[in-house]
Amino acid sequence: MVALPATRRRRVRRPSAREAGTALLFVLPFLLLFAIFRFGPATAGVVLGFTDYTIGGETGWVGLENFHRLVDDPTFWSALRVTVVFTVLSVPLSMLASLGMALLTRRAFRGAKLFRSVFFLPVVTSLVLAGVIFIWVFSDGGPWSRAMGALGLPAQSWLADSVLVIPALVLVSVWSRFGYGMLILLARLQDVPAELEEAALTDGASAWQRFRYVTLPQLRPALFFVAVIETTVAVQVFDMIYVMTGGGPVRASYSLVYLLYDQGFKYFDLGYASAIGVALFVMTIVVALIQRLTLGREE
Amino acid sequence: MRVRKSLSAVAVALVAALAATGCGGSGSGDSKKTVTMWIYPVIFDEAKHRAHWDETIKAFQAANSDIEVKTEIFPWANRDQALATAIAGNKGPDAVYLIPDQLPKYARNIEPIDTYLDDTAKSDYHENVVTSVTIDGKMMGAPILTSAATPICNKKVFAAVGQTTYPTSWNDLLTMAPTFKAKGYDMTAYAGDAKQTLNQTFYPLLWQAGGDVFSPDGTSVAFNSDAGKKALTFAKQLVDAGYVDKTLLTTAPPIEQTRIAQNKVACVWHVPLTEIEKFWGKENIQVVPHFTETRQIGYGTVGSLSMLKSARDKAAAGKWIAFATNAENTKKYDVASSFFSPRKSTGALYVGDPVLGEQEKHVATSTVGPLHEKARDVQGVLSPEIQAALLGKKSVEQALEDAAKAAAPLLG
Repeated sequence: MVALPATRRRRVRRPSAREAGTALLFVLPFLLLFAIFRFGPATAGVVLGFTDYTIGGETGWVGLENFHRLVDDPTFWSALRVTVVFTVLSVPLSMLASLGMALLTRRAFRGAKLFRSVFFLPVVTSLVLAGVIFIWVFSDGGPWSRAMGALGLPAQSWLADSVLVIPALVLVSVWSRFGYGMLILLARLQDVPAELEEAALTDGASAWQRFRYVTLPQLRPALFFVAVIETTVAVQVFDMIYVMTGGGPVRASYSLVYLLYDQGFKYFDLGYASAIGVALFVMTIVVALIQRLTLGREE
Repeated sequence: MRVRKSLSAVAVALVAALAATGCGGSGSGDSKKTVTMWIYPVIFDEAKHRAHWDETIKAFQAANSDIEVKTEIFPWANRDQALATAIAGNKGPDAVYLIPDQLPKYARNIEPIDTYLDDTAKSDYHENVVTSVTIDGKMMGAPILTSAATPICNKKVFAAVGQTTYPTSWNDLLTMAPTFKAKGYDMTAYAGDAKQTLNQTFYPLLWQAGGDVFSPDGTSVAFNSDAGKKALTFAKQLVDAGYVDKTLLTTAPPIEQTRIAQNKVACVWHVPLTEIEKFWGKENIQVVPHFTETRQIGYGTVGSLSMLKSARDKAAAGKWIAFATNAENTKKYDVASSFFSPRKSTGALYVGDPVLGEQEKHVATSTVGPLHEKARDVQGVLSPEIQAALLGKKSVEQALEDAAKAAAPLLG
């Protein structure tokens, strides 16, 4: 086994005031745009969560009332459950699919670029358009239910079943997202030194051992990145559900963002909608921190 | 030092730019008043729609050269999202096309139009049309069109089954349905997807059974009455007996993916005529009156032009709305869009037309649905419960009671 040179800790020189000023000047445009278009609205959203803001009405400070309402709202808990189940199922599956496809297409073989492009295609396909097609795929008598029937399973519409609707949406989500993760992991895989695998091969490591002890540790930062991105996307799932199920049947696919959308843009209860947004934000941060502690920790 | 100088230059440039943009809007010195209007594809053909408004604006400006009118045609999809955010950001239009379903939610942002319409114009509206746009005794918009979403039946399907009469009541539907089912057709369709407005699906059944959504004083819901149970039981009967396609109970596929478009459904009441015509052919459409159970009633909308309170020049906006919705322009607009007139003076617009002429007769028995601030919120809690009952997950009684319980806190 080839020993890698130990990483030496380099002393970092503190920049001078002039250097810092120059650097600040370069990042200033981004900082300004970020403050105006991201941080500002996000902060305003948090503040609105403590008000009873509705369109055209007088806005009053209501303290934690919206959050108390959230706790007492059975629809919130049901939407939270749907969001958590969807995230727990879709993120690992999406990552597995991304990893599998990245490993399959990492080697240079005839048509590799074509495969990579084809696998990436769903990422740039409109989810609304894809949703319309998948309604047909999962419909009663559609290809999916026929395939299930051929396998001896109940040939039914998965979108009409309270239990199967989430797995159906997860499949669509994985289909639409794995190409993105694949691309990130593929880029990282190209950077893994070939000598490492060759050395492991010389030492008699099996294919699984080479993957488990050589490739996978090298992929850890990329996997962490993909996990965070996929989780963020999954907890915000909305458009696909809106098109395919309308949150049904019987709210079995009614996610947190769907609830937020309804409260904000259908019922115009923007204070409450903002409180839901805050809850979603906190949830995303907590999950990202957990991922940071597990996948993202430094060796 | 150089950095500081550069920063100062950037700051000066920014201030100058902001000042320049700030001055541009108000100090132009142009005395022309501007009215902006948001409208939606009421006339399906965008070129024709645009031409209608261009022509109307031209006629208006001939007498009001100091008022410039700008119309923007937005898509129907997500129109509330666009309008609500525009209003919140103080970027809303001066005038906008709204239907009664939207009026209660925007009521606080709407300038009542009564004072901008003369008495002749107001008295020219059908009484039920005025009621449909009136909140707290004030007209929230100037009506420009009406509709009647009567049931429509597919003559081709009826011929294939050998049925020579058309249903006019629930009883007719239940009596005819087995024959249609036996020949591979659905008697009707029920759109149970939560995105569908109940105004066009469940509420017509509720009204026909003699019920209503809210109590007369609006402080509680009334859909869990005996009439409500009767209406939901009827819908469930249709589902359980296999007289409707179950796919539509939970999803809303594009119409071309449905059995309706495949000419496999006998009658529907939730699909607009213009949409179905493409698949059935106008010659195969048979309009029937709103179904009767306890009473004959169905859904119909009233489209109106409303003025927002944020309108920059209310007098100019009011003048424009009054002109755009006068009898002459209303008639032109309604004929071009295949809608019906809200005015008495225009008379019937489609006499002799076997489809529109027939539907036009039922405008008087059509209702726009509840004008209640929480009407949409209540639909939000009722819709999943109706789905639960139709899918057999709850009894009719339980579903309606659960919906009523969920609606109670919404009504305070």
